[in-house]
Parts: sequence; structure tokens; C-alpha cells
Amino acid sequence: MTRADRILIAVLACAALLAWPLVASAGVASGEAVIEAPAGRTTIALADDAIYQVAGARGTVVVEVADGSVRVLESDCPDQVCVRTGAVSASGSVIACVPNGVVVRVGGGGSDGLDARVR
Amino acid sequence: MDSMLASVSTSVTRGSVVSRRVAVGSGLLAVACVLGLIEAAMPGLPLAPWLKLGLANIAVVVALAVADGATAAVVSLGRVVIVGLATGTLGTPVGLIAAAGAIASLGMMWALSSRGDAFSLVGWSAAGSAAHVLAQLVIAGPLVGSWSLMALAPASVLIALPLGALTGYLARTIVSRLTER
Repeated sequence: MTRADRILIAVLACAALLAWPLVASAGVASGEAVIEAPAGRTTIALADDAIYQVAGARGTVVVEVADGSVRVLESDCPDQVCVRTGAVSASGSVIACVPNGVVVRVGGGGSDGLDARVR
Repeated sequence: MDSMLASVSTSVTRGSVVSRRVAVGSGLLAVACVLGLIEAAMPGLPLAPWLKLGLANIAVVVALAVADGATAAVVSLGRVVIVGLATGTLGTPVGLIAAAGAIASLGMMWALSSRGDAFSLVGWSAAGSAAHVLAQLVIAGPLVGSWSLMALAPASVLIALPLGALTGYLARTIVSRLTER
């Protein structure tokens, strides 16, 4: 690795770290999550266990809130990336189902003492 | 007489350069396709299931290092088309996202490689990997009708950088073996 390599990689990594809170949990309050779907945006409370049927671009995405964390239970999509992401609760966590255009973002910050967590 | 000999030897040299490029390019294209197919069959990474290691990029980096940008473009885009045909994703949103990533990565790596020795293969590959994931998220925006996927961008770039550096390191190891002989 050359000096320029190290500088380039460090700059890109810093840019990503700085951008994280701006894009991942922006506009979402602590203890809440938003479900963004083609039809619009829904805010959900992580304290209330519930199951949400979200209409995606290809079919239904089933989102479950249980024990303060959120996960995609099932989805009409070929690769099931969203389902395999599992349950998330940390601020800045994101679950995405690209084929359905559905994204779940967990808001807030500081509640677990961490600024961000790599998932 | 001399000039005729000179012209013959020039054409022979040029011919062998072209043959070498075709041979290296097609060999690396075959390697890229095999790696791409293996990766298409594998699930994503444990912590980030939307990302993959990017093994096929090893062949593109090697092409850029031992041949030129045009050869690397043939290896990269040829791989996208062939793997797309084989997996049935060519022309679908998944195929478009793959093509956008490949083009962005190729452009980034070509730009860095044309700066002489400033950047090594590890830097090309790491930055190419970051460009790859960003382009994929950008092109996925209009496809899914929402920019909300950009929320994945910071995490994706942070994971892509070390993975890109790893594949760049593997490519460098291969290139050093190739050029020793």
C-alpha cells in the first residue's frame, strides 16, 4: 500500500463515518423506527410489539416489532436479504428490501451509549 | 530492404502485443465469470447480507495492472453480461444495479491507475469497491422509487473499503507471481 492509498482509504472511511448519523437515523426519534415504502412513510414505536403489513413494489413485506427490536419476518422478494438481516434495535440500523423498495430505519441515539454500530 | 525488414518486424511485434492482450483479456474474463458465478450462488456477508466480497474484481484489477484500461473494461463488462445471462438477471433491475456498480468501479480504478505509481492495486480496489456500492445504491433509488436506500451508504462504504483492499491485495499477490517469470 502506498501513502496515497492510505490517505484515500482514510478520507473515504471518515466521510462515511461523518455521513452515517446524517442519513441513517435522520428525522427519526429515539425509541422509534420509520418504515419507508413506495406508498409513503410510517413511524412505528419500538416499545409496542406489533406486526405491520407493508405494501412493497413486488408484494407484501411483513415487519415485526418485538422486545424493542424490529425485523422483517417475511417478504415477497427473491434474495431475502431483508429477512436475513435479522432483528435490529441500535440507533442508525437499517433493514432494506431493495426489490420491494422498503427500508426500515431505527432512530434516536445515545440510548445504548454508542454513536453507531456496524451491522 | 532494411525498411521492409523493419516494417515486417514492427507488424510482428504489434501482432504479438495484440495477441497477448486478447489472450490475457479472455483468460481473465473466464476467471471473472467463474468467480462471479460462484459469488452469485453464495449468500451475502453475515453482518451485511446486501454486500458480497467482490471476488470477480480480482480479475479486473489484474487486467488493469498487466494490460490496460480497455482490457479491464472487457473483463468487467463482459463478466456482467455473461454472469447476467447465466443467472437470468440480465436486463432486470438486479442486472442494472450490477452493471452500474461495475462501471463506477471500473471508472474509479482506471482513474487511480492512470496516476502513475501514486496508488497501488490495494488503493485502486478499495476505492473501486466504495464506488461500486455507492453507484449501486444511487441507481437503485429510481428503480425502487425512493432514495431511502441511501441510508445504507455509510455502512456499505465502511464495509466495502476493507473488502476492496483485501481483493486488491489478492490481485497484487497474483500480479507479482505473474511478472516474476
